[in-house]
Amino acid sequence: MTRTIMTVDDSTSMRQMVKATLQSAGYGVVEAADGQEALDYARENSVDLVISDVNMPRMDGITLVHELRALSTYRLTPLLLLTTESSQEKKMEGKRAGATGWIVKPFNPTQLLATLQKLL
Amino acid sequence: MVTRKSVSAGHTGIHGKLGRVAPNDAQPEPALPQFEHISRYWDSEHSTFTARLLPGEYYVTRHPEMISTVLGSCVSACIRDSRLGYGGMNHFMLPLDGSLGQSVWGSANSAATRYGNVAMERLINDILKLGGRRENLEIKLVGGGRVLAEMTTDIGARNIDFVRAYVAAEGFKVLGEDLGDIFPRKVVYFPQTGRIRVRKLVSGRDESLAARERQYLQQLDAKPVENEVELF
Repeated sequence: MTRTIMTVDDSTSMRQMVKATLQSAGYGVVEAADGQEALDYARENSVDLVISDVNMPRMDGITLVHELRALSTYRLTPLLLLTTESSQEKKMEGKRAGATGWIVKPFNPTQLLATLQKLL
Repeated sequence: MVTRKSVSAGHTGIHGKLGRVAPNDAQPEPALPQFEHISRYWDSEHSTFTARLLPGEYYVTRHPEMISTVLGSCVSACIRDSRLGYGGMNHFMLPLDGSLGQSVWGSANSAATRYGNVAMERLINDILKLGGRRENLEIKLVGGGRVLAEMTTDIGARNIDFVRAYVAAEGFKVLGEDLGDIFPRKVVYFPQTGRIRVRKLVSGRDESLAARERQYLQQLDAKPVENEVELF
Protein backbone atom coordinates (compact mmCIF):
# COMPACT_ATOMS: atom_id res chain seq x y z
CA MET A 1 0.00 0.00 0.00
CA THR A 2 1.30 3.44 -0.86
CA ARG A 3 2.30 5.45 2.17
CA THR A 4 1.27 9.07 2.14
CA ILE A 5 3.50 11.82 3.49
CA MET A 6 2.46 15.42 4.02
CA THR A 7 5.02 18.13 3.30
CA VAL A 8 4.29 21.44 5.01
CA ASP A 9 6.27 24.53 4.01
CA ASP A 10 5.44 28.10 3.02
CA SER A 11 8.16 27.93 0.37
CA THR A 12 6.93 26.40 -2.88
CA SER A 13 10.45 25.45 -3.95
CA MET A 14 11.12 23.65 -0.70
CA ARG A 15 7.87 21.67 -1.06
CA GLN A 16 8.86 20.80 -4.62
CA MET A 17 12.23 19.47 -3.50
CA VAL A 18 10.80 17.39 -0.69
CA LYS A 19 8.07 16.11 -2.99
CA ALA A 20 10.57 15.10 -5.69
CA THR A 21 12.60 13.19 -3.12
CA LEU A 22 9.56 11.39 -1.69
CA GLN A 23 8.06 10.55 -5.06
CA SER A 24 11.37 9.12 -6.25
CA ALA A 25 10.95 6.53 -3.48
CA GLY A 26 7.32 5.81 -4.36
CA TYR A 27 5.59 7.70 -1.56
CA GLY A 28 2.34 9.53 -2.08
CA VAL A 29 2.65 13.23 -1.26
CA VAL A 30 0.21 15.88 -0.10
CA GLU A 31 1.27 19.49 0.31
CA ALA A 32 0.27 22.24 2.68
CA ALA A 33 1.55 25.83 2.67
CA ASP A 34 1.32 26.44 6.42
CA GLY A 35 0.47 24.77 9.71
CA GLN A 36 -3.20 25.73 9.62
CA GLU A 37 -3.72 24.24 6.16
CA ALA A 38 -1.91 21.08 7.29
CA LEU A 39 -4.02 20.78 10.43
CA ASP A 40 -7.27 21.30 8.50
CA TYR A 41 -6.24 18.54 6.10
CA ALA A 42 -5.14 16.21 8.88
CA ARG A 43 -8.45 16.55 10.72
CA GLU A 44 -10.29 15.13 7.71
CA ASN A 45 -7.69 12.75 6.28
CA SER A 46 -5.02 10.45 7.55
CA VAL A 47 -1.40 10.62 6.48
CA ASP A 48 1.39 8.26 7.49
CA LEU A 49 4.04 10.85 8.26
CA VAL A 50 4.42 14.64 8.32
CA ILE A 51 7.50 16.66 7.35
CA SER A 52 6.99 20.26 8.39
CA ASP A 53 8.89 23.54 8.27
CA VAL A 54 9.02 25.54 11.52
CA ASN A 55 8.68 29.21 10.54
CA MET A 56 5.44 29.68 8.62
CA PRO A 57 2.62 32.22 8.54
CA ARG A 58 -0.73 31.51 10.25
CA MET A 59 0.55 28.48 12.17
CA ASP A 60 4.17 27.52 12.74
CA GLY A 61 5.47 23.96 12.66
CA ILE A 62 5.92 23.56 16.39
CA THR A 63 2.30 24.55 17.05
CA LEU A 64 1.26 22.17 14.27
CA VAL A 65 3.06 19.28 15.99
CA HIS A 66 1.39 20.20 19.26
CA GLU A 67 -2.07 20.35 17.64
CA LEU A 68 -1.57 17.09 15.75
CA ARG A 69 -0.50 15.26 18.91
CA ALA A 70 -3.78 16.34 20.48
CA LEU A 71 -5.70 14.43 17.78
CA SER A 72 -6.18 10.78 18.67
CA THR A 73 -5.43 9.73 15.07
CA TYR A 74 -2.01 11.45 15.10
CA ARG A 75 -0.80 10.42 18.53
CA LEU A 76 1.72 7.96 17.09
CA THR A 77 2.30 9.41 13.62
CA PRO A 78 5.96 10.31 12.97
CA LEU A 79 6.24 14.11 12.77
CA LEU A 80 9.54 15.52 11.47
CA LEU A 81 10.52 19.17 11.55
CA LEU A 82 12.64 20.33 8.59
CA THR A 83 13.95 23.82 9.16
CA THR A 84 16.73 26.39 8.80
CA GLU A 85 16.69 26.69 12.61
CA SER A 86 19.57 24.90 14.29
CA SER A 87 19.43 26.29 17.83
CA GLN A 88 19.24 23.78 20.66
CA GLU A 89 16.50 25.85 22.24
CA LYS A 90 14.19 25.57 19.21
CA LYS A 91 14.96 21.87 18.90
CA MET A 92 13.95 21.29 22.51
CA GLU A 93 10.75 23.23 21.91
CA GLY A 94 10.02 20.87 19.02
CA LYS A 95 10.81 17.85 21.10
CA ARG A 96 8.54 19.02 23.93
CA ALA A 97 5.71 19.59 21.46
CA GLY A 98 6.01 15.95 20.47
CA ALA A 99 8.08 16.00 17.28
CA THR A 100 9.75 12.73 16.29
CA GLY A 101 12.87 14.33 14.84
CA TRP A 102 14.62 17.47 13.63
CA ILE A 103 16.36 18.06 10.31
CA VAL A 104 18.32 21.21 9.55
CA LYS A 105 18.09 22.39 5.93
CA PRO A 106 19.56 21.67 3.46
CA PHE A 107 18.50 18.07 3.82
CA ASN A 108 20.30 15.06 2.39
CA PRO A 109 17.76 13.08 0.29
CA THR A 110 19.42 9.72 0.83
CA GLN A 111 19.45 10.21 4.56
CA LEU A 112 15.91 11.55 4.63
CA LEU A 113 14.64 8.47 2.80
CA ALA A 114 16.60 6.16 5.10
CA THR A 115 15.02 7.90 8.09
CA LEU A 116 11.53 7.53 6.61
CA GLN A 117 12.11 3.84 6.06
CA LYS A 118 13.05 3.47 9.69
CA LEU A 119 9.97 5.35 10.87
CA LEU A 120 7.33 3.83 8.61
CA MET B 1 17.60 50.34 -10.27
CA VAL B 2 20.49 52.71 -10.64
CA THR B 3 23.51 51.21 -12.30
CA ARG B 4 26.41 53.50 -12.31
CA LYS B 5 29.84 53.07 -13.75
CA SER B 6 32.62 54.49 -11.62
CA VAL B 7 32.00 58.20 -11.18
CA SER B 8 35.54 59.29 -10.85
CA ALA B 9 38.17 58.39 -13.37
CA GLY B 10 40.29 55.61 -11.93
CA HIS B 11 38.57 53.42 -9.43
CA THR B 12 40.28 53.49 -6.06
CA GLY B 13 39.35 49.99 -4.92
CA ILE B 14 36.46 48.86 -2.80
CA HIS B 15 37.79 50.09 0.52
CA GLY B 16 38.82 53.53 -0.71
CA LYS B 17 35.66 55.29 0.33
CA LEU B 18 35.08 53.63 3.65
CA GLY B 19 35.86 56.11 6.38
CA ARG B 20 35.95 53.91 9.46
CA VAL B 21 35.07 56.41 12.17
CA ALA B 22 31.62 57.92 12.52
CA PRO B 23 31.21 61.59 13.50
CA ASN B 24 31.03 62.08 17.28
CA ASP B 25 32.01 58.44 17.70
CA ALA B 26 28.46 57.40 16.91
CA GLN B 27 27.84 53.66 17.22
CA PRO B 28 25.69 51.56 14.93
CA GLU B 29 22.29 50.39 16.19
CA PRO B 30 22.66 46.96 17.79
CA ALA B 31 22.56 44.15 15.23
CA LEU B 32 20.10 41.30 15.60
CA PRO B 33 21.80 38.58 17.70
CA GLN B 34 22.34 36.25 14.73
CA PHE B 35 24.31 38.98 12.91
CA GLU B 36 26.69 40.09 15.63
CA HIS B 37 29.61 38.60 13.68
CA ILE B 38 28.98 40.75 10.59
CA SER B 39 31.45 43.63 10.16
CA ARG B 40 29.89 47.07 10.22
CA TYR B 41 31.64 50.34 9.46
CA TRP B 42 30.84 53.98 9.07
CA ASP B 43 30.61 54.81 5.37
CA SER B 44 31.38 58.47 4.91
CA GLU B 45 30.27 58.56 1.27
CA HIS B 46 26.70 57.67 2.24
CA SER B 47 26.87 58.99 5.82
CA THR B 48 25.56 55.80 7.29
CA PHE B 49 26.72 52.60 8.90
CA THR B 50 27.14 49.73 6.52
CA ALA B 51 27.20 46.00 7.08
CA ARG B 52 29.77 44.55 4.73
CA LEU B 53 29.04 41.03 3.51
CA LEU B 54 31.56 38.40 2.51
CA PRO B 55 30.66 35.37 0.36
CA GLY B 56 28.28 33.07 2.22
CA GLU B 57 27.07 35.75 4.63
CA TYR B 58 23.72 37.52 4.92
CA TYR B 59 22.35 40.36 7.01
CA VAL B 60 18.91 41.65 7.98
CA THR B 61 18.12 44.94 9.70
CA ARG B 62 15.26 47.07 10.98
CA HIS B 63 17.40 50.18 11.07
CA PRO B 64 18.11 52.80 8.41
CA GLU B 65 21.56 51.41 7.68
CA MET B 66 23.19 50.22 4.49
CA ILE B 67 24.35 46.77 3.42
CA SER B 68 27.20 46.48 0.97
CA THR B 69 29.14 43.79 -0.80
CA VAL B 70 31.31 43.13 -3.82
CA LEU B 71 30.09 40.44 -6.18
CA GLY B 72 31.94 38.57 -8.87
CA SER B 73 30.14 35.46 -10.04
CA CYS B 74 28.18 35.31 -6.78
CA VAL B 75 24.66 36.68 -6.61
CA SER B 76 22.89 38.77 -3.99
CA ALA B 77 19.18 38.98 -3.39
CA CYS B 78 18.17 42.28 -1.80
CA ILE B 79 14.83 41.71 -0.11
CA ARG B 80 12.61 43.97 2.00
CA ASP B 81 9.12 44.15 3.35
CA SER B 82 7.93 47.28 1.59
CA ARG B 83 5.42 48.17 4.31
CA LEU B 84 7.76 47.82 7.26
CA GLY B 85 10.98 48.95 5.62
CA TYR B 86 12.83 45.99 7.13
CA GLY B 87 15.03 43.90 4.94
CA GLY B 88 18.38 42.49 4.07
CA MET B 89 20.77 40.99 1.60
CA ASN B 90 22.53 37.69 1.06
CA HIS B 91 25.66 36.86 -0.92
CA PHE B 92 26.07 33.34 -2.19
CA MET B 93 26.89 30.98 -5.02
CA LEU B 94 25.86 27.41 -5.67
CA PRO B 95 28.36 24.65 -4.97
CA LEU B 96 29.44 22.63 -7.99
CA ASP B 97 27.45 19.46 -7.76
CA GLY B 98 29.46 16.48 -6.67
CA SER B 99 28.27 12.93 -6.27
CA LEU B 100 25.08 14.17 -4.65
CA GLY B 101 24.17 15.96 -7.82
CA GLN B 102 21.93 15.84 -10.76
CA SER B 103 22.58 12.32 -11.93
CA VAL B 104 20.72 10.85 -8.99
CA TRP B 105 18.07 13.36 -8.07
CA GLY B 106 17.40 15.48 -11.12
CA SER B 107 18.25 19.14 -11.34
CA ALA B 108 15.12 20.27 -9.48
CA ASN B 109 16.51 18.55 -6.47
CA SER B 110 20.29 18.73 -6.80
CA ALA B 111 22.60 19.44 -3.88
CA ALA B 112 23.34 22.83 -5.43
CA THR B 113 19.68 23.76 -5.62
CA ARG B 114 19.05 22.68 -2.07
CA TYR B 115 21.95 24.81 -0.93
CA GLY B 116 20.72 27.85 -2.86
CA ASN B 117 17.24 27.43 -1.43
CA VAL B 118 18.58 27.62 2.07
CA ALA B 119 20.60 30.77 1.28
CA MET B 120 17.37 32.42 0.11
CA GLU B 121 15.18 31.02 2.85
CA ARG B 122 17.42 32.11 5.73
CA LEU B 123 17.24 35.69 4.52
CA ILE B 124 13.49 35.57 3.89
CA ASN B 125 12.73 33.86 7.22
CA ASP B 126 14.63 36.47 9.20
CA ILE B 127 12.58 39.22 7.54
CA LEU B 128 9.35 37.33 8.22
CA LYS B 129 10.38 36.86 11.86
CA LEU B 130 10.52 40.64 12.22
CA GLY B 131 6.89 40.78 11.15
CA GLY B 132 7.39 40.87 7.38
CA ARG B 133 4.85 39.21 5.11
CA ARG B 134 5.61 37.21 1.98
CA GLU B 135 3.13 39.20 -0.09
CA ASN B 136 4.88 42.47 0.81
CA LEU B 137 8.37 41.34 -0.09
CA GLU B 138 10.09 43.16 -2.90
CA ILE B 139 13.23 41.77 -4.39
CA LYS B 140 16.17 43.04 -6.40
CA LEU B 141 18.74 40.67 -7.82
CA VAL B 142 22.37 41.51 -8.54
CA GLY B 143 25.57 39.79 -9.63
CA GLY B 144 26.45 36.62 -11.47
CA GLY B 145 29.18 38.13 -13.62
CA ARG B 146 31.44 35.87 -15.61
CA VAL B 147 34.37 36.72 -13.41
CA LEU B 148 36.04 33.36 -12.88
CA ALA B 149 37.08 33.24 -16.49
CA GLU B 150 39.22 30.13 -16.21
CA MET B 151 36.32 27.92 -15.11
CA THR B 152 34.76 25.77 -17.79
CA THR B 153 31.33 26.17 -16.21
CA ASP B 154 29.93 29.69 -16.25
CA ILE B 155 29.47 29.89 -12.49
CA GLY B 156 27.79 33.28 -12.72
CA ALA B 157 25.19 32.04 -15.20
CA ARG B 158 24.40 29.06 -12.98
CA ASN B 159 23.81 31.34 -10.03
CA ILE B 160 21.57 33.60 -12.12
CA ASP B 161 19.53 30.67 -13.43
CA PHE B 162 19.00 29.44 -9.92
CA VAL B 163 17.99 32.72 -8.35
CA ARG B 164 15.57 33.59 -11.16
CA ALA B 165 13.95 30.15 -10.98
CA TYR B 166 13.68 30.46 -7.22
CA VAL B 167 11.90 33.80 -7.15
CA ALA B 168 9.60 32.69 -9.99
CA ALA B 169 8.64 29.48 -8.14
CA GLU B 170 7.95 31.46 -4.97
CA GLY B 171 5.87 34.01 -6.86
CA PHE B 172 7.89 36.99 -5.64
CA LYS B 173 7.86 40.41 -7.25
CA VAL B 174 11.25 41.25 -8.72
CA LEU B 175 11.51 45.02 -8.90
CA GLY B 176 14.85 45.15 -10.59
CA GLU B 177 17.85 43.13 -11.58
CA ASP B 178 21.38 43.74 -12.70
CA LEU B 179 22.75 40.33 -13.58
CA GLY B 180 25.37 38.75 -15.80
CA ASP B 181 27.99 40.47 -17.93
CA ILE B 182 31.70 40.07 -17.20
CA PHE B 183 32.25 42.67 -14.50
CA PRO B 184 32.43 42.46 -10.74
CA ARG B 185 29.99 44.74 -8.98
CA LYS B 186 30.00 46.82 -5.84
CA VAL B 187 26.47 46.86 -4.45
CA VAL B 188 25.01 49.06 -1.75
CA TYR B 189 21.45 48.52 -0.55
CA PHE B 190 19.20 50.48 1.79
CA PRO B 191 16.52 48.10 3.11
CA GLN B 192 14.53 50.91 4.65
CA THR B 193 13.84 52.58 1.30
CA GLY B 194 14.71 49.79 -1.13
CA ARG B 195 17.22 51.99 -2.88
CA ILE B 196 20.10 50.12 -4.45
CA ARG B 197 23.22 51.32 -6.20
CA VAL B 198 25.31 49.05 -8.34
CA ARG B 199 28.69 50.11 -9.57
CA LYS B 200 30.37 47.94 -12.15
CA LEU B 201 34.04 47.63 -11.46
CA VAL B 202 35.23 48.11 -15.00
CA SER B 203 38.82 48.98 -14.24
CA GLY B 204 40.07 45.46 -14.91
CA ARG B 205 39.74 42.15 -13.15
CA ASP B 206 39.95 42.20 -9.42
CA GLU B 207 42.29 39.33 -8.57
CA SER B 208 41.65 39.33 -4.84
CA LEU B 209 37.91 39.12 -5.48
CA ALA B 210 38.37 36.19 -7.86
CA ALA B 211 40.65 34.50 -5.33
CA ARG B 212 38.07 34.97 -2.57
CA GLU B 213 35.34 33.47 -4.73
CA ARG B 214 37.51 30.54 -5.73
CA GLN B 215 38.23 29.86 -2.08
CA TYR B 216 34.52 30.07 -1.22
CA LEU B 217 33.68 27.63 -4.00
CA GLN B 218 36.35 25.21 -2.76
CA GLN B 219 34.97 25.41 0.77
CA LEU B 220 31.48 24.68 -0.48
CA ASP B 221 32.65 21.65 -2.35
CA ALA B 222 34.94 20.37 0.38
CA LYS B 223 32.47 20.25 3.21
CA PRO B 224 29.11 18.60 2.78
CA VAL B 225 26.34 21.19 2.72
CA GLU B 226 23.83 18.79 4.16
CA ASN B 227 22.83 18.15 7.70
CA GLU B 228 22.10 15.15 9.86
CA VAL B 229 18.68 13.90 10.82
CA GLU B 230 18.27 14.00 14.59
CA LEU B 231 15.67 11.65 16.01
CA PHE B 232 14.45 12.48 19.50
